[in-house]
Amino acid sequence: MYEQIQHPLLPQATHDERARQHFVHALKEHLATTVSPGNRVVYEKRAKPRFVRETQRAPQNHHEVRRVMKDEPYYQIWSALQRISQEMMWDAVASSVERQLPDLVARAKQNKGELGSLTLNPDLPIPPYHTAVDIHCQPGGYHSETCPDDVAAGAIYDRAVHIYVMGRMGPLNDDLGQSLIAYLKTAYPDLQPRTILDLGCAVGHSTLPYVDAYPDAEVYAIDVAAPMLRYAHARAQALGKRVHFSQQNAERTTFADASFDLIVSHILLHETSASALRNIMRECYRLLVPGGMMFHVEVPQYGGLDPYDAFMLDWDTYNNNEPFWGALHEMDLVALASEAGFAPTRVVQTMIPSALKVARSRTGLFQGGDFAGRGQWFVFGAAK
Amino acid sequence: MPRKAKGQRPTFFTDPQVEKVLAMTMALAGEVSVLRERLDTVERLAEAKGLFSRQDIEAYRPSARVAEERERWRKEYIARILRVVHEELEAIERGETAASYDAVVRAVSSS
Repeated sequence: MYEQIQHPLLPQATHDERARQHFVHALKEHLATTVSPGNRVVYEKRAKPRFVRETQRAPQNHHEVRRVMKDEPYYQIWSALQRISQEMMWDAVASSVERQLPDLVARAKQNKGELGSLTLNPDLPIPPYHTAVDIHCQPGGYHSETCPDDVAAGAIYDRAVHIYVMGRMGPLNDDLGQSLIAYLKTAYPDLQPRTILDLGCAVGHSTLPYVDAYPDAEVYAIDVAAPMLRYAHARAQALGKRVHFSQQNAERTTFADASFDLIVSHILLHETSASALRNIMRECYRLLVPGGMMFHVEVPQYGGLDPYDAFMLDWDTYNNNEPFWGALHEMDLVALASEAGFAPTRVVQTMIPSALKVARSRTGLFQGGDFAGRGQWFVFGAAK
Repeated sequence: MPRKAKGQRPTFFTDPQVEKVLAMTMALAGEVSVLRERLDTVERLAEAKGLFSRQDIEAYRPSARVAEERERWRKEYIARILRVVHEELEAIERGETAASYDAVVRAVSSS
């Protein structure tokens, strides 16, 4: 079992709280490695032949696979356990954070040093795609606050993400940032950004690697959720990283035109909406200097995937409060980028390997938690 | 702090009640794991502090009296878990049905 680095902001767990979280971690790992693969067997041996008998052809897309799989008892119990494991994860972490919240709030405030900055905007509207349902079932979502200077959502997220990915994003949950950087260093060795913006940064876990990778750059990170940003800034300071955090919506920021050489996001796009995504693309175009580049790390698009793999990857759309997940992964991204002003010839879509060794222990299946699908991340980018 | 994530919970089984029972079962499984881990800590601390070792635990043989006490506890414990099954049989033996209960409701309401 991979352990998370106990940095000064990470909630402390009592003996039983840690044991409870370990159980969820082990349950998730068992479901991912031992139970989930059986769905493929059920599909090939039972569901698919049933579909073929009824329609004289094989299922052609993930919607057809879902229609025939949803009645399979094995898939039902795996789904129920998967959903339950997600609820148990939030519960095991949230109860621990709630117990020590005053202390966490104090620790975050105490850390108000000179490293980087934190700018909150209490008047910023929380977008409807964050308030409609609590994304990936985190009670209260990213944005809810229960006390002044609340950091609970951030503290819960930091710990729960490590459990959700079964430790496979590294001891600081920074695999997404590390992997994109490794790709950029290889594919664009001459890239020397002076200004970098991370969109939808949450607790800044993907943001921090950019500070070391590009030491001459000023790193900015935005999110709509204040409790995430308070925690993110304190966490960055505790880890000695200089980042400027501000509470902003990536659809329309307060930065001036051509402010950034490099704009990145890490599994942000699927937590927005169709119209928000178009706005974000336009905003990236506006914020980039000529020749500047944007890169968004995501899970793979469904196009070209085996219908069964797409069906498994799509589970979160319906069962883990990820309502935009499916629609995003069926979208024409070249058209999306060009609509915002990017030249279609300058759009990049590629799969990148994870930079971390722990990622090699992923199952290689397309499923939530294991992310990436076959142990890789999807990158969508464009140069202005 | 909110405990439930906003958004209608999906159901996977024909009978959604089964899902609730499964959730309870998994929560209990989790708590058993927590207890097991705590006991493991106790054993390791006891060993580290020279109180007794885990070999001592393996070598422990209960006396007849202790064995009897444990046997009694085990029986009660299993019966408690299977309560609903035992009670179902009792109901069948007494001839209890939903209709017989409704008859009582009607009877006490009208007399």
